[in-house]
Amino acid sequence: MNGAVILPGFLVLAALVSPIAQADAPLDLNPIEAAQWNTSHAAHLASRAGFGATVDELSVLAAMRPTAAVNVFVDGAHKSQNDDNPSQLSENFQHSGVFDEGLDPFPASRPATTMLAKKQGHALGVEVKAGGNRPLQPVVNKFFYWLRASRLETDRVAYWWANRMLASKYPLEEKAALFWHGHFASNEDKVRDYRKMLKQLQLFQSAGLGDFRQLLIGVAQDPAMLVFLDAGVNTKDSPNENFAREIMELFTMGVGEYGEEDVREAARSFTGWSVRGLDFYVDTQNHDEGNKRFLGEVGNFDGVQIIDRILAQDITSEFLASKLYRYFVRDELSSEGAVQLGQLLRDKQLNVGEFLRALFMSKDFYQSQGAHIKSPVELVISTYKKMGFNQVPGVPDFNVVTGALGQRLMRPPTVAGWSQGRSWITPSLLFERGNFVLDVMFPDIGFIPPDRFPPFVREVAKVQSRLREGMSVSAATRPTAMLEGNQMGGEMAQSNALADRDEAFNTRLGSMRGWQMALERVKPINRDPARVDLVAEVVAAQLTTPEQIVSYYQNKFFSVNLPASVQQGLAKFLVDELGTNDIFAARSYLEEPLRKLLHQMLSRPEYQLG
Amino acid sequence: MKRRQLLQGLGSFAGLQLLGPNLGASTLNAVNQSNSDSPILVVLEMSGGNDGLNTIVPFADDDYYRLRPQIGIAKDKLLQLDDHFGFNPGLRGLQRLWQQGDLAVVHGCGYEKPSYSHFNSMAYWHTAAPNRGDEFGWMGRVADQLAPSRREEMLINVGTSQSLAVKSRLHTPLVFDDPNRFQRNGWMNNAPDIQAEKADETSANQAFLLAVSESAKSSSSRIRQAWNDYTPGADYGVVPMDLPKVAACISAGLPTQLYHVAVRNNAFDTHVAQPALHQRLLSYVSDAVHGFVSDMQRIGQGHRVVVMLYSEFGRRPMENANLGTDHGSSNIMLLAGAPVEAGHFGEVPSLVGLQDGDNVQYTTDFRQVYASVIEDWLGVKADTVLKGNFARLGLFG
Repeated sequence: MNGAVILPGFLVLAALVSPIAQADAPLDLNPIEAAQWNTSHAAHLASRAGFGATVDELSVLAAMRPTAAVNVFVDGAHKSQNDDNPSQLSENFQHSGVFDEGLDPFPASRPATTMLAKKQGHALGVEVKAGGNRPLQPVVNKFFYWLRASRLETDRVAYWWANRMLASKYPLEEKAALFWHGHFASNEDKVRDYRKMLKQLQLFQSAGLGDFRQLLIGVAQDPAMLVFLDAGVNTKDSPNENFAREIMELFTMGVGEYGEEDVREAARSFTGWSVRGLDFYVDTQNHDEGNKRFLGEVGNFDGVQIIDRILAQDITSEFLASKLYRYFVRDELSSEGAVQLGQLLRDKQLNVGEFLRALFMSKDFYQSQGAHIKSPVELVISTYKKMGFNQVPGVPDFNVVTGALGQRLMRPPTVAGWSQGRSWITPSLLFERGNFVLDVMFPDIGFIPPDRFPPFVREVAKVQSRLREGMSVSAATRPTAMLEGNQMGGEMAQSNALADRDEAFNTRLGSMRGWQMALERVKPINRDPARVDLVAEVVAAQLTTPEQIVSYYQNKFFSVNLPASVQQGLAKFLVDELGTNDIFAARSYLEEPLRKLLHQMLSRPEYQLG
Repeated sequence: MKRRQLLQGLGSFAGLQLLGPNLGASTLNAVNQSNSDSPILVVLEMSGGNDGLNTIVPFADDDYYRLRPQIGIAKDKLLQLDDHFGFNPGLRGLQRLWQQGDLAVVHGCGYEKPSYSHFNSMAYWHTAAPNRGDEFGWMGRVADQLAPSRREEMLINVGTSQSLAVKSRLHTPLVFDDPNRFQRNGWMNNAPDIQAEKADETSANQAFLLAVSESAKSSSSRIRQAWNDYTPGADYGVVPMDLPKVAACISAGLPTQLYHVAVRNNAFDTHVAQPALHQRLLSYVSDAVHGFVSDMQRIGQGHRVVVMLYSEFGRRPMENANLGTDHGSSNIMLLAGAPVEAGHFGEVPSLVGLQDGDNVQYTTDFRQVYASVIEDWLGVKADTVLKGNFARLGLFG
């Protein structure tokens, strides 16, 4: 057998990136029996419907009936406790105050900004200088300021969200938001406005477990999404297809379920949908009022009617239910299973929370333990959760860690979001996962906060240091390769040779000033490292032998069993580190060996399975 | 030196044999052992759908300016190519390669019933199986032919995640992004792993993780060593497209013959305000490719290395009202390097008589280009890999 799969449409992709679907067999969606419920089921529920649980939380869940335990996740613990505050960290995001009205609308590029300033005498709320050197420089500085400030503020939004994932009493709300962030993916690099990114995230958090129709309309009218998919420039005279295509291909139906004509006609229906600041509005002058032929019907459909036509297709519920299943349960799904799940979602009137409630009750769900490869964000948050942290450490930096592992929040790679499953794992990313644990167990004393000294802009730092040495702006901003002479021999690259020839402003100076201004205004991220006390835990759990410690960590952290020979090897490792197998005798110097043991265990391939 | 020049110099069948693996079916088996002179293919994906029409610009075709009244690039802005085409002003590096005779342009590349979805079309290009798909990537299948039993470092993919193109039945592709980070930090760097005495029964994902872990342990030190030993010997420009990392591996003498790198984040998806952005992106790619080819020459490896550039689709010939372009179909492909036969290949598609929603009809099945590099460059039977017979283009003389 040559392994080729022949499948229609989007399923081709799904099958290509994930293991081949199992032989067609119906999913057992019957509810699990209460008598079977145990700690291992509770741990599985907590890891999939949330970000894992501590030992104490697990014993509470295991003592419940399965229906009650599932309800805690689907409805939120606050519901059962009559608490209106779903999140322990109930506070809203604390804005640094980097935005001002002059920044809206923000031009598409630096050239567009300077052209605008030349034309109208001001841009971004800044007047062109009346005279003197480089009259456009303040405008250019402001342009770069906002790029930097929005970027840094977005990193603070990501931290705020990560803390909610860790500490919320309603973790499914955050887990679902993470799903939608990958499903309706927008990237701050293009949106260039942290406020829009935050607003989109809040939509996912507040509507992610409700009616899918409301969510989809919310997304279609969401400022970040409209900017990300160029909908703001979608006009009657020139429909832009980007948004119409992705709404069908990636958000609802999947490729192959509609034609190119449907894309064009849907684009006409969305014409005039636009953004002003943080608000959606319909620019009626630019909306196409003509008849459109969409999915076999003709009418003067507007955008919402197009969405309703899409939602009426069975393939939409199958597509969405399958994607939810792959995220919450397992990668493999037969085509028969997809049909079953689509029916289930329709039975629940496209209510995502109700669909998940049925899924989390099902026998099939509890047969998927250890079958799932944790996403980077899941890995990091669940590790923190199981370690008992109540806030995300500042060292290591959450965004740098998850970025290095391939899932930086607010920066999904493309509109298709992140590929899940095995694509999270490469040889070097497997090492990075272990290095993350090292950075938690042994915080780097050379840590430099990336929001204070952006390491990715060395050239900007060089410009600053040359200015401080007293060089003129023209000399200091010359490309380093040019200043130092082209030592490599051969011809210089075109992109390096392009000097800034416009006398009205200097781009490199603007870039440097932009960083300075942004660092001045954006609040710093709290840099407390993790407080880890592994000895106290060992003492409290009354663990007296190395074997017990290994076994304790196995149960606390792993979804699959390490082979017995590996567990023995790990116990021996601890004995070698301690010089004794008497844990009590070694208690005064036990901390570091325990950290090394845990680092070693959590670096293993088996720990990547959830 | 071009292969044809080598051939002319040798001029005998014995000479052909001596030259080893790259000369077609008669010597196909020779490549099963890689050696220090085996051919190398570096594939660079310009993800997002590069606008080929504004890359190699047909200024002599009036229809080009008719379809692109605003974003069409005026003849006097273009860099000289020939009397019909000009280079986008960002392509100074590629122009240099053209002038050296180290660049081939293949026109009209595409496939029947084109997909306008980035992700599906990419999957088709990655698997060389349009509208069908395959479990393994085309480069992965080449590797399976090159080495019929499992070997490390058969395929190297620089990037944050693995491309489907390199997925292989037998080999675990070596995927890394930053060579300096491709290691276990701290005390575990030198610590031996605790191995299971006998493999337990594992799930498919668990077996996958264990295989990747083995591959990582065996290769990471070689990659880091290669990177630390290497100093770029050419200017790769502002965004080097991971090509210095490939150069480091080649310079270190790794046995790898297949490399895949990509422009990140679908950057070429230029629906809006295209011209300045597109020129900038092209300059990054072009500088990097020129730097890489020059660097290979410098270390005496130029005769072994070919770079192939592709994109999942081209863009529509008609500009949109936002100074951008939408998803299209047929597109150019580029091959760079000393072994490449310079010039134009494939029929230049017509800009009149557009089909399937104002798109350019493809004239060259992209698998013809694949077949050419697979068989005429890498010396592997192309029809085995591509599961079909595709006319080759003579890209290597």
